[in-house]
Amino acid sequence: MATVGGWAGKVLRVDLSTGRTRTDDTIERYRDVIGGTGLGYAVLWDEVAAGTRPYDAGNKVIFGVGPLAGTGAPCNGRTAITTLWPTCWPTPLVGTGHMGGQFAAELKYAGYDGLVIEGKADRPVWLSISDDRVEILDAHEFWGQGIRRTAVEISQRLGAEAAVAAIGQAGENLVPLSVVMTGYSHSAGGVGSVLGGKNLKAIGVRGTGRLRIAGSTAEWERVVKRHLSLLGANNQHVVPDSPQPWAEFYDPGSRWKAAPGRQWGAASVPVDTGSCDPKDLNRIAYRTNNAVHYLGDIAWKYTVRGNGCTGCPVRCHTMIRVPAAAAKYGIPEMGQNTCGGLNFGRSFFKEFPDGPRGQTAVEACMVGMHLADDLGLWCNYSQLQRDFKKLYYDGTIRTKLSAGEFKGYAWSTYEKGDPAFLFDLLPRLARREGELGLAMGLGTGGLLDRWGLSETEWAADHELQYWKMGHPKHHANEDAGQCGVILNTQYNRDAQCHSHANFTRNGLPLAVQKQIAAEVWGSPDAVDAVQAYTPMNVAKARMAKWSLLRKELHDSMSLCNWMGPWIASPLKERGYRGDDSIESLLYSLVTGDKKSREELDLAAERIFLLHRALTIRDMGTKEMRARHDTIPQWVFKDGAGKPAFSKGTIRMGEADIAIAMDLFYREMGWDTVTGAPTRAAYERAGLAHVAQALGEKGLLP
Amino acid sequence: MGAAETDGVSYERLIAVARAADASLTRRRFLQVGGLSVVALSALGPWLAAEAAPPVLVLPQAKGLVLADPTKCVGCRRCELACTEFNDGKAAPSMARIKIARNMNFGPRGAFLGREGQGTWGNGLVVQDVCRQCADAACAAACPVQAISAKSPANARVVDETKCVGCRTCVSACPFRMMAFDEEIGRATKCTLCDGTPKCVDACPAAALRYVAWREISGTSGLGPRPVERRDA
Repeated sequence: MATVGGWAGKVLRVDLSTGRTRTDDTIERYRDVIGGTGLGYAVLWDEVAAGTRPYDAGNKVIFGVGPLAGTGAPCNGRTAITTLWPTCWPTPLVGTGHMGGQFAAELKYAGYDGLVIEGKADRPVWLSISDDRVEILDAHEFWGQGIRRTAVEISQRLGAEAAVAAIGQAGENLVPLSVVMTGYSHSAGGVGSVLGGKNLKAIGVRGTGRLRIAGSTAEWERVVKRHLSLLGANNQHVVPDSPQPWAEFYDPGSRWKAAPGRQWGAASVPVDTGSCDPKDLNRIAYRTNNAVHYLGDIAWKYTVRGNGCTGCPVRCHTMIRVPAAAAKYGIPEMGQNTCGGLNFGRSFFKEFPDGPRGQTAVEACMVGMHLADDLGLWCNYSQLQRDFKKLYYDGTIRTKLSAGEFKGYAWSTYEKGDPAFLFDLLPRLARREGELGLAMGLGTGGLLDRWGLSETEWAADHELQYWKMGHPKHHANEDAGQCGVILNTQYNRDAQCHSHANFTRNGLPLAVQKQIAAEVWGSPDAVDAVQAYTPMNVAKARMAKWSLLRKELHDSMSLCNWMGPWIASPLKERGYRGDDSIESLLYSLVTGDKKSREELDLAAERIFLLHRALTIRDMGTKEMRARHDTIPQWVFKDGAGKPAFSKGTIRMGEADIAIAMDLFYREMGWDTVTGAPTRAAYERAGLAHVAQALGEKGLLP
Repeated sequence: MGAAETDGVSYERLIAVARAADASLTRRRFLQVGGLSVVALSALGPWLAAEAAPPVLVLPQAKGLVLADPTKCVGCRRCELACTEFNDGKAAPSMARIKIARNMNFGPRGAFLGREGQGTWGNGLVVQDVCRQCADAACAAACPVQAISAKSPANARVVDETKCVGCRTCVSACPFRMMAFDEEIGRATKCTLCDGTPKCVDACPAAALRYVAWREISGTSGLGPRPVERRDA
């Protein structure tokens, strides 16, 4: 495969039961599924039998990256981790977690497009990968340690440039809500305990190799710059949040925070973020400040800089330096993360003495990051914190704990919004200590079971944002009406799809969005103004299909779906259009395997069909529409009683959503009665063997 | 263009000029001859070793230099990738001529656990290591086959792949560990300033790199290569 570029060429397999390692040829075995989640689903389909449980030795964990990881293609830093999901409830099914940082690139430079962890070690071990030298080493000295110490000590052995992915005490103790974490702040939720179940504490990778760019150097440079020119701020927000001299539009909700006078105030020398004209590609890194996005202007004075993944100019992990938090709580003065990780500690509290965006909120973030990212706890897209608040304030926690245990917590501190409470709570979650520590770490499904609570109650409560199967919504009807609802029905954890929300929330006026929508999905009616939705139509179903396929394509190529796709851009001279073929251009040039946009979309369909087939096989039913693609009742309600399709509500209509699902299934070529893919749909994607296997079990419609 | 001919001035001619200027030149002694930087050459081969006066290597002063501001570096490594992708057609940070990764996680002192230090695990500061295009270029001086010379138009010190024998003497000689080695072709490589339009500078999304007129930053001018960290007491 000397002429192929992008891929490193091998998938590394490590059997922890036998201690043996071997490699597969990526191109021969996995080119049709590209890499990343495609690799993960393919391995699970081929090798992990239905009925396997997450902590069984027979379960596998696949760290998959794609042909763009480690190259200069923007936003290529994410590693997709696929396994049987421990918080998927009541039946564990296939799921994926995604971590950024440098791990994906370093794995590629070491020579691997993926890492398949098999079996179970009989003692704590860690995996050392230094180019082609792969060793399973004793990890007794790390077991019981936090992620920070583990990662540093491994870095001292493999070199400061190594990428280390480690679990904390939560993963070791088989807390289902646990992460694997790399590079100080990049975590993949849900995976920690599966690695803990395999006695695998950490993976250290050091790579000194190279990845070939198959296309011409000049053409690659041109396409990379084209892609850079289309980038917005984080979540592809393409307009700034405040008026700028160059900007025709602005949107206060944008993550594009840069402006003259707004400074990285805690840098060695304060740095002005400036005007950031989108044509100036040398200022992309100043646009985003997610600490400011969540915490408000108070975060500017604490900002050191943006941080993020290999090759990504967007820098969504904001580094903040808060000496007051360090002095008060005895924690490091530096903290960094994004979204749920940044807000991990803050989200537990109902209120703070100085408001939701005051100094206390900042300190709660600092304490939360310090604890959770060392203990390796996962928030389940903040469902953990929403559940906790509800269960405390409705009195459930008091009734479920013994009096002695309940008294062991400083609840008055909690009610006052004192971040010190987190020192009380989070270590006990990681240790499964007491009833509260054990129950809260199970994830929502396990918690409902253990405490005899009703899922119906969760699914009716808009505030809880619970969707199904133990997991919350992730960019649903609050961002994209029916399209968001459809996408949230498709996965076995929170959907993690951003394709749709990155368009509807990009900050452009509706008229511009409709122009672009007409070009991409065939009708301006594919999009509505947020909270002013119109009834379902075919274009919305096309948008949902496109969103789903682009997510899987990104997760397989190693492009960040938290940033893509790029059909809109900040460029006025392009009418704010992006380029729906940018994935095809990048893939074709880097690999030398020329594929059109349509061919890549078919590959993405193949990949998602594997996810769907795994779900059907492991649930043992083809009745997806009734038993899997479910929608919580809160979607069909409005607190103020506003009817669906009126302005100011995200309420959906039940009959309309039924039509939405019909249209979506048709777009996908699936059976509308069961919601299951047809034999023809599998065969069209080159998955006749999958159809055959499902057919033999009566799982085809 | 090789060591024998730099900017149209023959190598032998420059050595002769230098000898005439000062017959008592010692190794690494700095001279200015006709606007050129002149340095003693450490290893010109046995025929020169026998001469009474040590030989000298004359390199025209580089016209430019990549200057890095660590305060602005966001650790994305786009400069490393631009260096090798747009020059060599491969993503290979280990042979990038600008070096971010080695300081990115923990800073120049390596992995630590504690609250002091640089990089992602420390105070956030990432020191970008760049080639100084030294007047007294230790890499060039160390090369046993004179494969490193100044190349117009930028007069960057450049490895001539056709002469390089892959001995890595230059890699060891650079006091700043800025030489790189292309394992695929078995040749040393270093910053060429991309003939005056450095790809790394162009690629930086934080304007943390600038291409500026050459100045001495190798540590002898008082402008040290490391920034002074600001730490609160």
